[in-house]
Amino acid sequence: MNPTITFVKIAHQILSKFGRGGSLPGQIALKMDKNILSKFKMPKEVILVTGTNGKTTTSNLIAEALRKTGKKVINNHRGDNLNVGITTLLALNAKSDYTIDADIAVIEVDELTVYRQFKNLHPTTLVVTNFFRDQLDRAGEMETIIRRIMEVTEDFEGRLILNGDDPNVLRIAENAKKAKVALYSVGKNAVSVKETDEASEGKFCPICGQPLHYEYYQYSHIGRFECPNDHYGKINPSVYIDSIDYDNATFTYNNHTYHSYINAIYTIYNCAAVLTVMKELGYDPTLADDVFQHYVLKEGRHETFMLSKPCEINLFKNPTGANEVMKEIVKYKGDNNVCILLNDNDQDGHDVSWIWDAHFERLNIPQIKHIVCSGTRAYDMALRLKYESLEDKVIVKEDPKEAIQWLDEQNLDSFVLATYTALHSTRALLKKRERK
Amino acid sequence: MKILWMYHNLMDLYGDKGNIMVLKTRCEKRGIPCEITTCTIGDQVDIDDYDLFFLGGGADHEQSLIFEDLLKRKENILKAYENKTSFLLICGGYQLFGAYYLDQDGNKIEGLNIFPYYTESSDRDHRCIGNIALEVSIDQETFKAVGFENHGGQTKNVATPLGKVLYGHGNTFDGGYEGFVNEQVIATYMHGPLLPKNPRIADIVIKRALAKRSSDITLEPLDDTLELKAQEVMLKRLKVSI
Repeated sequence: MNPTITFVKIAHQILSKFGRGGSLPGQIALKMDKNILSKFKMPKEVILVTGTNGKTTTSNLIAEALRKTGKKVINNHRGDNLNVGITTLLALNAKSDYTIDADIAVIEVDELTVYRQFKNLHPTTLVVTNFFRDQLDRAGEMETIIRRIMEVTEDFEGRLILNGDDPNVLRIAENAKKAKVALYSVGKNAVSVKETDEASEGKFCPICGQPLHYEYYQYSHIGRFECPNDHYGKINPSVYIDSIDYDNATFTYNNHTYHSYINAIYTIYNCAAVLTVMKELGYDPTLADDVFQHYVLKEGRHETFMLSKPCEINLFKNPTGANEVMKEIVKYKGDNNVCILLNDNDQDGHDVSWIWDAHFERLNIPQIKHIVCSGTRAYDMALRLKYESLEDKVIVKEDPKEAIQWLDEQNLDSFVLATYTALHSTRALLKKRERK
Repeated sequence: MKILWMYHNLMDLYGDKGNIMVLKTRCEKRGIPCEITTCTIGDQVDIDDYDLFFLGGGADHEQSLIFEDLLKRKENILKAYENKTSFLLICGGYQLFGAYYLDQDGNKIEGLNIFPYYTESSDRDHRCIGNIALEVSIDQETFKAVGFENHGGQTKNVATPLGKVLYGHGNTFDGGYEGFVNEQVIATYMHGPLLPKNPRIADIVIKRALAKRSSDITLEPLDDTLELKAQEVMLKRLKVSI
């Protein structure tokens, strides 16, 4: 008998009966034994997934695809990626001698703390999706995040599965001395552009400091780049997505057509990461297609509620994510209203100045009739839109309840953007108003 | 009004471009033509041709990239300063105009040394981070301002700060005063960005810039309802009287 593990499992059972659960069991486990994370006997294959955007979706897709091979796979599917969440996952799947009862663990890990998790979790594979400018007050400079990760990957002997089209991520490959590196890349397609106003970090060759030349950009600073002095950026990817067909939501890799769950460039990158994991671990990548086709996104990602008219809610948390969501909203040709809920609680980041880096001018189109600003920083959002000449369309309703009620009453299709701490409460509001 | 936006592609941490948008819009609404020129490493410009020199904040790496280029422009900066160009310097821009920067390992990195203040690094885990409110005293006006500070550097020997701290840190931990100001320069750690929620500072920047070419400038008032409401929300939250 292991008192901590047993207690955690009982606590989980009781909590689940009351519809609770979450990461409370992990909190209890860490209270009982603060070193518990280092005691687990990890499965043969431990895959950590980190990066700024797309961690939760990518790690869920990887876990699902690996399950198709018949292996027993555990993963923290709700995106609880800090100590408490990871402890919950492991404690609930541990035997009394701390052995994890699984063949493979797929663990989403927060990019700020991943460097500390290596010694606890003994990863065999690290997947890095991308590095974008994120909440500076919480995360600090991106440079610090990358350097800390490179300190542990320098001598890492496992697999590194990296986005070869992100100059910030590729640095990890350059720096790794012992790891087996596998890159993924996506070829030129209908959304690729020669010039961009979206890129922020990663403009320079990390070796000579010269500006990188881009053959094309996919979104933000993701694209095909090269150092003008040939120091950096020539890649030989393990997985290369040849083409994307946005009309049919399909893409091709190695002469096989795959179906994407969402028709957007960043989801193709998530899929490419999954295919690389499958290939590098020696499994058939085509097993993933069924997963891609039927994948249901996490709550609050492209989730539609039937109000008086359909209302789609999306998380937004940094300029890149906001830009990508807006690109999709403006594709919708019918009249619609938009609601933006901007909070500045701990998990959102206290500094909301990032909204000035996002391209809200994209919302200045005739089919968007009104934009309701809500949340703890509703007026900051309204002010931001004023500077895109959207003042006449802006309505401020600080209370999210009033904002959602207003939206419902308009009898018009709508889109909601919510920061992290506004997402779940807003989903609850939408659910309540949903017509059956 | 002619604005020179320095290192727009490098010193652009979190929303500093918002400051430029505010200056341009507030000029244009009053029928004042506003021309923005960007200038990055290696670009040939005469700073003296411009009414306002704007330099924002950047990450450490970006800041190290621009420094050599900025240093080459020192003579030109001094000439423009002599001829009444005004300066708006945020965060890294603020630090670079001082005497020096002392990094964590005790290395002294020379600044432009145009003003006698200097900055000492604090250790990585201690930064001045959070919302900040000031009582600004500038050009015979006194008013409240809000912003967001996020800096490790401790700036000392500032004889004429931009304002008194009502909430937050300022130039140093719990230092009581924030920024640096003189007749032509406004330098501050305040992001947010600085100008959208502080329209009075924005108008002072515009007036000072226009003063390079003309005297007797009065700016028509604009409708600042949203601006002041956003400011008020923050002042209330920080329990600072409006």
